[in-house]
Amino acid sequence: MPKKKLVKKIVKLVFPQELIKEPVTFRMAKKYDIMPNVRRAKVTKTIGESILELEGEENNIEKGIRYLKKLGVDVKPIEGDIVD
Amino acid sequence: MSYVKSLKCRECGRTYPKKPIYVCEWCFGPLEVVYDYKRIKKVLTREKISSREKNLWRYKELLPIDKEPMVGLNSGFTPFFEAKNLSKVLGAKKIFIKDDSVNHPTLSFKDRVVAVALSKAKEFGFKTVACASTGNLANSVSSHSKQAGFNCYVFIPANLEKSKIVSSLIYGVNLIAVDGNYDDVNRLCGEIASKYKWAFVNVNLRPYYAEGSKTYGFEIVEQLGWRVPKHIIVPAASGSLLTKIYKGIKEFKQLGLIKKSDTKFHIAQADGCSPIVSALKQNCDIIKPVKPNTIAKSLAIGNPADGFYVIDIVKKTGGFGEVATDEEIVEGIKLLAETEGIFTETAGGVTVAVCKKLVESKKISKDEEIVICITGNGLKTQEAVENKIGRPIKIKPNIKSFEEEVRVWL
Repeated sequence: MPKKKLVKKIVKLVFPQELIKEPVTFRMAKKYDIMPNVRRAKVTKTIGESILELEGEENNIEKGIRYLKKLGVDVKPIEGDIVD
Repeated sequence: MSYVKSLKCRECGRTYPKKPIYVCEWCFGPLEVVYDYKRIKKVLTREKISSREKNLWRYKELLPIDKEPMVGLNSGFTPFFEAKNLSKVLGAKKIFIKDDSVNHPTLSFKDRVVAVALSKAKEFGFKTVACASTGNLANSVSSHSKQAGFNCYVFIPANLEKSKIVSSLIYGVNLIAVDGNYDDVNRLCGEIASKYKWAFVNVNLRPYYAEGSKTYGFEIVEQLGWRVPKHIIVPAASGSLLTKIYKGIKEFKQLGLIKKSDTKFHIAQADGCSPIVSALKQNCDIIKPVKPNTIAKSLAIGNPADGFYVIDIVKKTGGFGEVATDEEIVEGIKLLAETEGIFTETAGGVTVAVCKKLVESKKISKDEEIVICITGNGLKTQEAVENKIGRPIKIKPNIKSFEEEVRVWL
């Protein structure tokens, strides 16, 4: 079976307080066979933020992002909102 | 002659050559233009600036172009004046207005950033420019692109109001109405920006585009007599305007064009979209994205790219952040119209309302100079106020009817 093409996507994740201590990025990566590459991160008592690159099959990345959103993580483009 | 040294990551400080790129390959931080201030200091003086034509290019050494400007040659140098009537009503000693509601050619401060972005797009050799917008940016890119001879694609949400569609479509651009919500339009435009080799003004040209906002601050300083005000109140969507006014003032100080740069920066947002003010009030430097729900559509950015940097500036200059509800925004628009004769859009209403709150709460001393930033024209957002102002008095076409209906004022 031919190998599916891998794609990369850069995202900003914002975690609510209740998810800060949960390994949600790891779980998403394992569940959907995605390789996360964290470049920057910040955590406070009430909120967390990480900027990372996700690499995997396009379909899996979409599923992984949906999984994170369902858990309550904000998944946003690093450019901020483009519509101005 | 170019005075730009390079692009530089605002997070990790790595430098990059002058290209249409916007993000650091290492940390994914935003890139910013860095200038050779030593060389600029040798050539730029107050006298030189004052002798030039009254448009934003009078500060061209501090703008990111390598050749002579090519686009937006009549943009900028908008009115700046003391708002005596508004000051009186708000109980403040001296409020000044910087009025970009009459900026050329599309009546908002976006004409500054687009003039710079499209001049840069010409230098890079782009043939096509694009943007995603629900209002002012779309109008400005549409207008400037035609004058400059670009192909132009403007992306809008399909449910956008008719009046806003007309004010872009009139220029004969490719107006693409995306059948989806705001997030869908955002996602699609991100994909288009990375796939097509276009000048997407607020994506791959963002480092250059954003520099245009500095001219708003330069003009305030020059029009105030080469000095800074004690307070400035800036409306925030992405937050870029505030960060660039700050950068501009610091540059003037560094070049010796002004002696002091001790302005306190205050940020104004709509209550229905205040991710930056919320983070500021919680003393947190991580911005939690929000879903906008406000009549101030031009400020409705729920995931602001420059939020973190705005918080940093507001805090270190001793400023405050405040919000205005939809009702307060309308009252702010009406107050500015009734006192100063300026019909501003909803973002201006936010700024006036926040000014009122900051003075009333004594966060800004009534005895200190305040500049408020009016960034757009009310003719574009008439729907925000149309049911909240008076009605015409209907009369028959005769004197009797006139005197009967209006006698109360005679």
